[in-house]
Amino acid sequence: MGKSSKDKRDLYYRKAKEEGYRARSAFKLLQLNDQFHFLDDPNLKRVVDLCAAPGSWSQVLSRKLFEGQKDVEGRKIVAVDLQKMSPIDHVTTIQADITHPKTLNRILELFGNEKADFVCSDGAPDVTGLHDLDEYIQQQLIMSALQLTCCVLKRNGTFIAKIFRGRDIDMLYSQLGYLFDKIVCAKPRSSRGTSMEAFIVCLSYNPPQDWEPKLDINQSTEQFFEKIPSLNGISELSIDDQSHTKAQLPSWSLEERSIAEFMSCGGLDSFDSDATY
Amino acid sequence: MKEISHYGPSLCSKFHEKLVYVGYGSSIHVYDYHTGDIINECNIFHRNKVHHIRICTAGYALICGMKSFSVVKLDDLMSCSEVLNNERVIAECIISGEFSYECTQLYLLTCYNEVMVIDFQGKIISRNSVYGERSLLYSGSIKVMSKDEVYVNAGTVMGGVLIWNLFTAHMMHNLVGHIGSIFHVTLSDDGGFVASCSDDRSIRLWDFKTGSELSIGWGHTARIWQLKFFNDNKNLISISEDCTCRVWSISTHSEAKIELVQRNVFEVHLTKNAWSIDVHDGDMIAVSTGNDGRIKLTDLQLASRHGDEQECFSVQDISRSTGTKFENGEIIKGFQWYEFGLVAVTSLGNILTYTTNNGWRFQMNNTKFISYCYVNGVSDENVAVFSNNSGHIMMLKFNDDAEDVIAKSEYHASELSKTNNCMVCKYGSSHFLILLESPNPKDVFLCLIVNSATLAIEEKIPYSKPHNFSSSCVEVYQDNVLVGSRYSTLAIYSLKSGSNPYVVRRINPGDTTTSIKYIETVGGKAIFSVTNRDGYYNFIKINFNLDLHEQDTPVTVIHSNKIVRGFLEHAYMDSSGDYIIHGFKSNLFYIYNETKGYEITSEACGGAHRQWRLSSTSDGWILVYIKASNIFFRRFHKRAIPETLRDGIHGREIRDIAIKKDKMYNKGYLFCTGSEDTSIKLCHFAKDSGRVTTFWTQRKHVSGLQRCAFINEDLFISSSAREELLLWEVDTESLERPFMNLRQVLPTSTTNPDLRIMDFSVQFIENNVGFILAAVYSDSAIKAWFFDMRNSTFHLLLDGKYETCCMLNVCLVQYQENLYVVTTPTDGHLVFYNISNCIPFKIKNQSVELISDEVQILSSALPNFDLKLPVHQSGIKALAHAIDSSGRLKFYTGGDDNAIGICTMTIEESTGKIEGHISAFKPNGAASTITSCGLIDQGKFLVTTSVDQLVKVWDISKDKISLEKSQYVTVADTGSSDSITTEDGSTTLLIGGVGLSIFQVPCE
Ligand SMILES: C[S@@+](CC[C@H](N)C(=O)[O-])C[C@H]1O[C@@H](n2cnc3c(N)ncnc32)[C@H](O)[C@@H]1O
Repeated sequence: MGKSSKDKRDLYYRKAKEEGYRARSAFKLLQLNDQFHFLDDPNLKRVVDLCAAPGSWSQVLSRKLFEGQKDVEGRKIVAVDLQKMSPIDHVTTIQADITHPKTLNRILELFGNEKADFVCSDGAPDVTGLHDLDEYIQQQLIMSALQLTCCVLKRNGTFIAKIFRGRDIDMLYSQLGYLFDKIVCAKPRSSRGTSMEAFIVCLSYNPPQDWEPKLDINQSTEQFFEKIPSLNGISELSIDDQSHTKAQLPSWSLEERSIAEFMSCGGLDSFDSDATY
Repeated sequence: MKEISHYGPSLCSKFHEKLVYVGYGSSIHVYDYHTGDIINECNIFHRNKVHHIRICTAGYALICGMKSFSVVKLDDLMSCSEVLNNERVIAECIISGEFSYECTQLYLLTCYNEVMVIDFQGKIISRNSVYGERSLLYSGSIKVMSKDEVYVNAGTVMGGVLIWNLFTAHMMHNLVGHIGSIFHVTLSDDGGFVASCSDDRSIRLWDFKTGSELSIGWGHTARIWQLKFFNDNKNLISISEDCTCRVWSISTHSEAKIELVQRNVFEVHLTKNAWSIDVHDGDMIAVSTGNDGRIKLTDLQLASRHGDEQECFSVQDISRSTGTKFENGEIIKGFQWYEFGLVAVTSLGNILTYTTNNGWRFQMNNTKFISYCYVNGVSDENVAVFSNNSGHIMMLKFNDDAEDVIAKSEYHASELSKTNNCMVCKYGSSHFLILLESPNPKDVFLCLIVNSATLAIEEKIPYSKPHNFSSSCVEVYQDNVLVGSRYSTLAIYSLKSGSNPYVVRRINPGDTTTSIKYIETVGGKAIFSVTNRDGYYNFIKINFNLDLHEQDTPVTVIHSNKIVRGFLEHAYMDSSGDYIIHGFKSNLFYIYNETKGYEITSEACGGAHRQWRLSSTSDGWILVYIKASNIFFRRFHKRAIPETLRDGIHGREIRDIAIKKDKMYNKGYLFCTGSEDTSIKLCHFAKDSGRVTTFWTQRKHVSGLQRCAFINEDLFISSSAREELLLWEVDTESLERPFMNLRQVLPTSTTNPDLRIMDFSVQFIENNVGFILAAVYSDSAIKAWFFDMRNSTFHLLLDGKYETCCMLNVCLVQYQENLYVVTTPTDGHLVFYNISNCIPFKIKNQSVELISDEVQILSSALPNFDLKLPVHQSGIKALAHAIDSSGRLKFYTGGDDNAIGICTMTIEESTGKIEGHISAFKPNGAASTITSCGLIDQGKFLVTTSVDQLVKVWDISKDKISLEKSQYVTVADTGSSDSITTEDGSTTLLIGGVGLSIFQVPCE
């Protein structure tokens, strides 16, 4: 009954089976790429896939970077998830929590001194049913991914992440706007129209010149971003003061918010995934 | 725009002295829980919901919610309508907070496992954490033992519970054992135990000193959200997604083994997501809250508060106290409860009484009632009626203390060859009826009219018995006797005419009719509730003013429904108008408030097959039953405290709202909500206060609701997945309560349908002969049906498919002399089908008429679309239309792409085809999907709701879209709305999602 039988009838589900993908999510990344072509760049070398299990995005990345390619020298894919993933050719997998600063450190170590060209995150926490908390945790997953991105992504690189377009999504858009030249909220046709799911596509990484992102394993994600004044939701909080004490906590005010451009991806003639047959 | 009421998730509750403080949306409600009165509603935060309340002895409350916190004087909480200026924010989400030992500082635990120490002015004094342990938390708590002994209990997402000392930042324990995220962890007041609960449905009890696991509590069938130690740390209470709260004892019988033992289960909330629990130790009352918005009080001493709740007597006990010897195998065969106590008969015909003051007493023996005896009676006349299977009856009337038999009479019904049922029922103020039935179909159905004082039989009426009849319950209304039977049959006898009964068969799908109860008289017609053992209940309306046999439909069913589960034995309306039912589910006897949707009480009596009887007493009810040949008295006292402090709404998202706009009802309006929980609620809101009253919860749909709408003054349609589309008839003649009954079901395309009916639209045919229904499906199908009012049938007119995408909206629009099906697929287009020439109706300028009375309904293919207008980038989620002052047809659209559009349509004269263009478009109408829109104030303004939780009013005059007003709504997953503009020009707006908010929009 219900959901599972519906999934089976979904066209993307069948298509994924046919094409050997582990999940129908693969088409979301493919349709995003149809629109933005971030995976078609011949110079694309090093990519990170966060919250990657069961691994269909990693499969897409692996095919794009390695299949039928002559010059694969220096190409690298790192995939991370809480869940264990079965191996995929050319992909290094790590089982860990991306909100833990220690995990980000491990990924950084794998890259050595080299920068990545592309970071993606398709993370979704278990929903509790407390809407504000669920949305917050989702945003924390994105912020953790972004934190890693800031440490590892090359200037002008691309970052994409799954979002749920809920109450505070405009706050996130506005924060991302400080780090990238262009951000778009993209919705692939293969993502259910009835769900709040969409993807934030952040193009041309362009962090403030005077900011040197540094990971500290005793700091939370929020504290990492506190260092960029414009990104810090609570700018009144004194940051010169190393101990963070004696600062006065601010009263409530509406955080800065903006709306990202919306784009539907995958072509109108492609199937939408709400349809049941 | 002003919110006048809100019903929705409540995440925390806290007793303090004689009051209870409940976080409700972004406010705190303060209740006197003894009376149920609300003392104050105080708005705490601008947007965040209240997640957490602590109260300190100095008279302050610390209130936290996401990144916000506030310190508020209790006096202010009880008197101010808002304390928004006190709201402060920190950079991270606050998981828990606490006052310091001397109530001079605050400790806030963040979701990254750091504690901020803050003074009352909001100055940070220090920030403490355990080095390297900064991963994400869903839960935690802070325990202040003394001035310098403070512990932090943090629950991680990876199943660990980290316990650390706040001042030394030293980690004491990492308690491992749970699988999955920890949702609550708490330390007992005496510092002895730690209790934690999680995703894995278990509760774990740990030794705080050693960190060793003491016991695991299994029982909940879903995730557990909160725990609380009470009763001097001897008990623990838990609340879970399975909607129950459970009481556990911490048994410390032996030093060696400490065990968590489940003692009690209470069903407290609806569907899913119950969030908080607190206990008042002195009163032994629990308060709980959940997503359903209900604030529920539970009596933790439900079966022991008065001390006389349970009594049990064995045959030996009775024998001893009456001084009569019972034979081997002699058992109690029947009983009846009175104000003084009980009258019972044994299998050897010994008649006994029991009174609270004098205990058991032997009254007499009557050998006619050996082995086979029914006992019935008229409780308020102290009359008992005994009958056997061969037509013998004995009536006894007792005095008020059951000392003496003050009247006695016997009778033998020689008219009957045998008897297999005897029912007794009060008739007027001085008589009662005895109804005797024989298993022989040829025998009469005998009715005796008996004088209650003398027990003399004053009249005998032999009625004919309908075929296939086996009586099971009776009700008297004026001079009519309504007898319920098996096969869901009802026979109505007139005591005056004595003629053949009027018989109604198959009132519902169940079998045995278990009760008939008079409810009220409306418009000269009497309304009765009829229940069926299989769980169905109906309300029927009977016109007794004319001879039943001479009317076309003297009996109409005006309401039908089925209970959630179990067997239904009886139902009535209580003094506050709530429908109270009782029956059995597995081995439990239950009493349930069907109107409000909660269990009042239950008793593990062993199941329905045993002998039992429920009687009302001056102070509640008493259930008498036999189990293992003992007789049990179980008293259910009226609750001293209310069952609820606030009645909520659905336990899951409201997917659609429809106001019945044709007329006001009791200073407000009736409306229906369709929810993801698969039910439809028929409710009322008061126009001034926004107070919502729920009348009924209809459970006919088996899948989550998609759309619902009133299509005229008394018809209502709802649609959902599995191709369910139901047509309901609403009866609002009674001002006490409306009724709604299923009239017809739309045929499905297969026997196991899997498509969702996304939307529907209706166009009535002149003279009310029926209506055309357009329905759109999730597989791109578009169908049109004719509903023939004369015989209540749906006929398929048109069937076709758009392309391959899901259809989101549809409306049937009559424009000039054409009828269009306008639909919005997920590809962002507005698509127009002109169906005027494919249907057997004449489309006139203002009306649609049947071409001929004997119309031949043939279904044909949907024609090609006339026009496909690209408007949005992805699905159009919200659609409204109107014809403007210059006669142009306008469509207003809200999209998944956050945009709002206005399209203007005209008919091209040369081709006769519809044409149109986008006359206004606003790309960033919202930060997220626009989910509903509606025109208000005669089409001058458009109201939109969107998932970013903003309601916006747009000025749409002169083909532009300019923002007039914007208002934040507490309702998350904002997905539906409806509005009504009243004569005074003000508009009331209902907004649904996870909860329901009602707004008043003053006229411009
Ligand atoms: C929708 S799935 C990803 C599907 C994947 N992109 C694919 O194509 O196969 C979301 C994943 O997020 C992961 N996740 C959630 N929270 C996480 C966290 N804190 N750290 C790492 N992974 C996480 C879940 O384990 C889950 O596998």
